[in-house]
Amino acid sequence: MLDYNSYENNIFYPMEAKILNVKQVTELERHFSLKLANDKQMTFSPGQIMEVSLFGYGEIPIGFASSPTRKNSFDIVVRSVGRVSKAINKLQKGDSLYVRGPLGHGFDLKAFKNQNVMIVAGGIGLCPTRSMIQYILDKRSDFKKFTLLYGSKNPNQRMFVDDLEVWAKSSDVDFHETVDQGIPGWKGNVGLITTLFKNLEVESNTKVIICGPPVMFKFVIFELQKLKIKNEDIYLDLERRMKCGVGKCGHCQINDHYACIHGPVFSLDTIKHLEEAI
Amino acid sequence: MSKPKVGFFDFASCEGCQIELTNFGDVAFLELINHIDIVEFREAMSEKAGKLDIAFIEGSFTRESDRKRLEEIRKRSAIVIAYGACAATGGINALKNHQHDYHECVYGKDAKAPHLASNIALPISAAIKVDYSVYGCPMSRDEFIRIVSHLLHDKQPIIPNHPVCMECKLNETICRFHDGDHCLGVVARAGCGAPCPKDGIPCEACRGFVSTPNVDSLVKTLINKGGMHSSRAWNKSRMFTNNQRGDVK
Amino acid sequence: MSSYFITRANFEKFIVKLIQAKKKIYAPVSKKQSFIFDELTSFDDLRLDYDVTILPPKKYIFPPRQGLLTFDKQGHNSLIAPEDKILLGVHFYDLKAIDMLDNLFAANNSDANYLANRAATTIIGANIQKISKRAFWGSVGKDVRPHGYDGFIIKLDGGEGYVYECYTDKGSALLKSGDFSNASPAQIAASMDINERVLKQCPEKLNHSSKEIATKVRSTFKEKQLWEELADDCFSCGSCNTVCPTCYCFDVQDNWNVDQVSGRRERTWDACMTEDFAKISLGGGHEENFRESKAQRFRHRIMRKSTYLNETLGGPACVGCGRCSSACTADIADPAKAINRIMEL
Repeated sequence: MLDYNSYENNIFYPMEAKILNVKQVTELERHFSLKLANDKQMTFSPGQIMEVSLFGYGEIPIGFASSPTRKNSFDIVVRSVGRVSKAINKLQKGDSLYVRGPLGHGFDLKAFKNQNVMIVAGGIGLCPTRSMIQYILDKRSDFKKFTLLYGSKNPNQRMFVDDLEVWAKSSDVDFHETVDQGIPGWKGNVGLITTLFKNLEVESNTKVIICGPPVMFKFVIFELQKLKIKNEDIYLDLERRMKCGVGKCGHCQINDHYACIHGPVFSLDTIKHLEEAI
Repeated sequence: MSKPKVGFFDFASCEGCQIELTNFGDVAFLELINHIDIVEFREAMSEKAGKLDIAFIEGSFTRESDRKRLEEIRKRSAIVIAYGACAATGGINALKNHQHDYHECVYGKDAKAPHLASNIALPISAAIKVDYSVYGCPMSRDEFIRIVSHLLHDKQPIIPNHPVCMECKLNETICRFHDGDHCLGVVARAGCGAPCPKDGIPCEACRGFVSTPNVDSLVKTLINKGGMHSSRAWNKSRMFTNNQRGDVK
Repeated sequence: MSSYFITRANFEKFIVKLIQAKKKIYAPVSKKQSFIFDELTSFDDLRLDYDVTILPPKKYIFPPRQGLLTFDKQGHNSLIAPEDKILLGVHFYDLKAIDMLDNLFAANNSDANYLANRAATTIIGANIQKISKRAFWGSVGKDVRPHGYDGFIIKLDGGEGYVYECYTDKGSALLKSGDFSNASPAQIAASMDINERVLKQCPEKLNHSSKEIATKVRSTFKEKQLWEELADDCFSCGSCNTVCPTCYCFDVQDNWNVDQVSGRRERTWDACMTEDFAKISLGGGHEENFRESKAQRFRHRIMRKSTYLNETLGGPACVGCGRCSSACTADIADPAKAINRIMEL
């Protein structure tokens, strides 16, 4: 009989991962750097997800928040919203959690190569896209113009503030940021993410990645269409109620697509006819 | 993890759910006791404690004078759990909510005795904030143990929100309607494992309604398949769900 | 495939011998006026004359409650421990459904928790002797033939005996337990005729081809009024999903044992018709339900059975067993009725 106590033979058998580092990002979110306990490398593409679990509490799907080019660890950001995430966010450096993955389809890296790329991230949508952002920055010569738009609710909700500071100064990325509501002391832009499109210089042949809250998609797509960007060049990173992560349990089904195996990255062309998608 | 301090309280009820607890006697409950510190329990002890981690409240809220006691329990308890149908939904006590003459009918010439004065029967949540409910008449022991286990680990308990029908299907129980009977399982909250239909008894929805019961369809079904006349079909679900119905008082 | 014959008297001896052997046998038995698949312990309990069972036989391969893992302080362990068994007397519509599940659980990420059970199961079909009141298997996915089963029993008219069709080594392995002879050409022809004839006797039928249905049903996605009307009486109870031989959605939950340290992760059948199926928590007490109304959920089920999975499966994900139709208290679940109605629009 096969050894079912192994992830290779049993997709529901999670691997232990050690927490190398934890950072409190905002009031609700914590940023974990992980390493597999068996010292094997986690091999994945930006945009892919993992099922992360804590025994007794359950499993949740979470996208990789770091690039596979950075091999010392892999990162996730956990937002305390439910049973599992709240429990995970009590863990400390040195503790273990359990992972299954990588799962699903990430960004089609071949299609992005030697292209202009724009990433539009809202709120925690910056977590899964950070994997791609780091990837592009690490392989900068593989891509043409790189534009990054980031919107958060207010300055206290900004993710990865250290990164944001670096990106703002970097000549490798045309970075624009806004918050929906300012607070005293905030000197940056105030307004919805769509306001960043006003003075934006973006070629119509740019490949665009969007990730954020459901309401954001429609408005950003509308702006992109004004820029004459084709549907086939627009990619959406869809967060759904994934459960099993392997295309079986049916919870994340959007019409005939399963977010967990056909996605979570979809081209707008593939899903624009899916009424339940966005 | 230090043992959480737990107290049990009762209001208008038959105390059957408390008895259900003390009757547990089985391994499951004795094991559970290793993990909690029961500091107040009228059925089993007389002392009174101060601050509580979890207060379990049985019985419905049916006298204004009980409000103060409930508020006092709420104030000193981190988590309040309404357990059993009476506390969770008003339970069978709420049958009186649409009656007027039951005092005379039951107590005759003593009907006006002051200790019999009460208002309509309401769930505990009508007086104070309730964090979780353990449904059922009596409440389900397994569910009780599961909820406590989850709370011990600071995990929000999962309470089913689908009709009992699914559990009958899983048991391969022959539908009451197929046996020429009636049933309220179509609108009743599951989680009990559907023991009544399994024994050939219609579900009376002792765990209350699911969050969005299709009452129109229920009435239609009770008339067409259950052979009831329309007023009986309309009133049928009153036994345990008087406070959840559209005509709630 | 090779065909064998066994007389009526020897068939009883054959079944008795199988019961006495180590492998468990699960077969149709009666439960009051209905039938269920249950462990067979005596020949007299065997009811090959059943019309349909309350739950489909998938319950032995994909159990309603299946432990995936146990966990404790030391670590976690898989609960895959398949039991060698024979599933006997499965009607062809359920063979089709199991074949679909085999494909779905093997595709993309193969699921050992299903596949190990499946590999340990010998599946022996049986012809339909009695037709259930809501069946429409004669007209649904007609070009889809089931694969993957090991043998098939056909009771010949007149009661002289049974033809046993062998498809695999697992099917042939049973031959040694009975007094089989090679079936004669006349017996083979008679058995084929029995299977052909029954297809035309369903009380309900779909009036269009799977392709026509898939296209038309898909095109009605935005007909809000239609779906609201079809789902008006729905209790969102999930009975139709629960009795369906091709439904395979599940939920996964962890629970601690009474020691509060060790515990179990298990999956349980879930139902897309229930209110909470597509609900997600967004934090701060906020929730989103992307199939909030019963009409959306009803539409999802009909779409899933008639169009969504057709490309993957080569036909509709409905086998026409009629279980959902009879399990539905409001009597709205019947796919044949819903689809025929849509086709007339």
